[in-house]
Amino acid sequence: MTTDTKQPEKVSKQRQRADWLLENRARVSVLAALAFLFIVALAGLESKDWFPTIMQGLSVGALTFLVASGLSLIFGLMDVLSLAHGEIFMLGAYVGWTVYTRFDTTVDATVPLLLVIAPFTLMPLWQRMARWLRTLGRKWHFGIWILGLGVVYAAWYVIFAAGDADAIEGEVSGAGAGVTIIVSLLFVAAAYGLYRKWRSNDGSVESVKEAMSLTSWSLLALGGGAAITAMTKFPLVIWDAEDFAKSPSNFAVQVDLGTLAPLPADSFGWPALVAFVVLLLGGSLIALALSSLQTAIGDVAPLTRKHWTGFVAMVGLAIVLHLTKASLNEWVFGLSTTWRFFLAIAVATGLGFAVGAFIEVVLIRPLYDRPIYQLMITLGVGFILIELVREVWGRPEFTMARPAAFNGTGEGCPGQGLGGFFSGCSTVEVFGGRLRVYNEGFVVLVGALVLIGVTLLLKKTRIGMVIRAGVQDPEMVEALGINVRRVFTLVFAMGSGLAALGGVLAAPSIGLSSGMGATFLLGAIVALAIGGLTSFPGAAAGALLVGLLQQIIIRFGQTGINLPFLDEPFKPSPTVVPAAAILLMVVILLVLPSGLLGRSER
Amino acid sequence: MTTLTPTPQSWLRRRRGLLAMVALLIAFPFLVSIIVDGQGLGAVIANDQGNARFLQGLAIEIFILAIYALSYDLILGVTGLLSFGHAMFFAVGAYTFGIMLKTHEMQWVAALVVVLIAAILQAFLFGVVLVRVKGIAFALVTLGLASVFWIVIQSSDLQQWAGAEIGLQGVRAPVWFLDTTNERFAFYLVTMTLMILCYVLYLRIIDSPSGKVFHAIRENEDRALMLGYNTFWFKLLVLVIASVTASLGGVLHTMHQPIVTPNIAGLGFTVTALLIILIGGVGTITGALVGAAVYRLLQFYLDRWFGAASELLIGLAYVVLVLYLPYGIVGTWRAKAAKRKEGWERLRTLLSPGERPTS
Repeated sequence: MTTDTKQPEKVSKQRQRADWLLENRARVSVLAALAFLFIVALAGLESKDWFPTIMQGLSVGALTFLVASGLSLIFGLMDVLSLAHGEIFMLGAYVGWTVYTRFDTTVDATVPLLLVIAPFTLMPLWQRMARWLRTLGRKWHFGIWILGLGVVYAAWYVIFAAGDADAIEGEVSGAGAGVTIIVSLLFVAAAYGLYRKWRSNDGSVESVKEAMSLTSWSLLALGGGAAITAMTKFPLVIWDAEDFAKSPSNFAVQVDLGTLAPLPADSFGWPALVAFVVLLLGGSLIALALSSLQTAIGDVAPLTRKHWTGFVAMVGLAIVLHLTKASLNEWVFGLSTTWRFFLAIAVATGLGFAVGAFIEVVLIRPLYDRPIYQLMITLGVGFILIELVREVWGRPEFTMARPAAFNGTGEGCPGQGLGGFFSGCSTVEVFGGRLRVYNEGFVVLVGALVLIGVTLLLKKTRIGMVIRAGVQDPEMVEALGINVRRVFTLVFAMGSGLAALGGVLAAPSIGLSSGMGATFLLGAIVALAIGGLTSFPGAAAGALLVGLLQQIIIRFGQTGINLPFLDEPFKPSPTVVPAAAILLMVVILLVLPSGLLGRSER
Repeated sequence: MTTLTPTPQSWLRRRRGLLAMVALLIAFPFLVSIIVDGQGLGAVIANDQGNARFLQGLAIEIFILAIYALSYDLILGVTGLLSFGHAMFFAVGAYTFGIMLKTHEMQWVAALVVVLIAAILQAFLFGVVLVRVKGIAFALVTLGLASVFWIVIQSSDLQQWAGAEIGLQGVRAPVWFLDTTNERFAFYLVTMTLMILCYVLYLRIIDSPSGKVFHAIRENEDRALMLGYNTFWFKLLVLVIASVTASLGGVLHTMHQPIVTPNIAGLGFTVTALLIILIGGVGTITGALVGAAVYRLLQFYLDRWFGAASELLIGLAYVVLVLYLPYGIVGTWRAKAAKRKEGWERLRTLLSPGERPTS
């Protein structure tokens, strides 16, 4: 009896297995082929080479994974392939470098930023005010528009035209005068257009809506103009120094040369109090404009003590930072470089998070019904970030010193065996090969921790459950009463934060350049496509594969590959290495259009 | 009074804008020579230094960009294929022609035939991909293929042919009318004629029955399939046409620029095409010409006024365009056609003395 019931069950299990194999035959054969190639490649290496090669592959894979993980979550959840992701990685590296090398500049820049951001904690207040703005008469609206226009013009003039006038070449200022005339005419035309709009405003729902959106933009211009004007009067190490004006756009080089002298504490263009107040005012106006740009302001939450505490805390922090600037800088520069490195990681990751949230809310959100334009706009944002980095930090490539904990030399170095990773040496000898503790130890460790952390977040927490459900069917999740848009913002911000983290980690090992973002974005996209676009474990596997493949090819480039039809061994130069990973992606996508671990579309 | 059979006169009348543009473009160097430089008409033919010569160079760049953007508009705007590898189409033409002339010392006609074959082959390469992947995956694969080309072209392994990171230089003009340094006006006329030819050809293609299928593929590919069109062949056709056109642009680029840099194969150059058709209006064909002119002039003057910051401003302009002017110049112009007509009517009634507008 028992044997009878067992027998068919076993058969069906076998059949299930056979069915599974049949269904996934392409996948299985690709994996088998990859494993075979991997073994052949390792067999071709010398015994002391293979372990370092794998570890270097893991290191590059970990960095690629940090970019690819966010990209995968974002693409899975909201079908946006963020082509600006590599540039956020790059931004993370540059900001991390600044915090690490020039903490004084960071403090200088933090104070005005905090003051501008602080009013955003009082959102209910601005929402209530925006609602009140809608009840205002036409004349008030017109006044606000004209004021906004004037501020845009003034800010433009101060930043570009006035700066142009004292340029070295007379010809340039002549051209500047020409532009000024054209722009002035444009502004007159715009004012006339506004006047027409104001006249035709008949109080209907549409015209009020139109008037409100114009008012919001004008308020945005007012706030932005005020903030920018005040910031130029703020003493910033990178902005004011006169020699910076002489050889522009080269922050990093000036730091290296030591020509970037810190400013005296009281070098304000205005009294400090005025600058502070104008910055706060600018931030408030921006917050008000953004909240009035929302088409429908629903129920406004009451303004509680929580909001006020946040506001006071931020403003207080800004003031305290400003007053204690000198001693704070002294204290931080007295710290060991390891602590400064962790500070850099924290700051850059936080900034990446904030930038991601900003991009999602301001640029991606209005375009959810135009998917191709979302792709295009991320491309544009990436372009802008590259140019911004070039403008502020300068063009040449530079490196970041490794923190002290990973840079030990002297007695007992290099460390021996796996335990040598904790000996505080810069290098360690394992299985006869030499590894760098930072590159092949710390980076890989952080990559693994992030993988575990994000997997736990996805599998074990409520928000992870919402994200996974959103990847499958966002409309259903929305129907269940969950604010999917907020989850979108959170995931975009989180992904950007991870990319920025990757950037800081990459800075000491591979250095900084304005092309690093594009390189890693390409790697991450390849990893994503290999692993299956929407699959998170797929992104990890793909990143690993990309890293290993690149490092193995670099290693073979040094020794040469004996190809059957060539007399000399073929030595690919390091520049063609990324091409190998891309070719792998093309082949895998052609065999498996949904990637190694992605869901297949039927 | 409408005639059903079109007469030659009516064709000319319908194309009067185009004809006027051609006449203006031919007259342009002479006008500049007389008005700005204060030289005679002969100075243009004799290829004298001056604003006329310089502006002709700028115009040639605009024509080349226009040819390149036209082909991208056919792929992306008309057929709706999201390809991020378009720079490769241009660069293959540029590099193949240059290498054939310089290293292999071919006749220019033979080199052109080689470019044509290369262009068709690479369209087939993209076409093979097309069978397997769609949408975003197609964008990724094309981006990947183009990146491979970009990486290979600037690797030191191919130094003796492609010149690695510096690029291809020292390509001599094979015939007098492709010589941009000594016969600027002839080259100007050649590029202009080719651009106009491509433009008219593209308009004709889009009006043809096949062109309607291209539109159908963009709007709803499944439906086009259901109606019995094998969309694969149409998409392949689009790729071949675009590839040949873009390669032609590349050939002219090789002739015009002293150095062909690897930049023209990178993602940045695809973005340039995207930007141009966004400025002009996606899917409008005419927009590619307008966009190319606006883009190149904007780039030129911004670079002159703001120096290194100009790239940043172009990036900002791009983002603003995507957000607030998604139909571009030509698209918006066409969308407002009815309103414009209404405005003219009102102006006419206001100006004519006898009639007063009612109300």
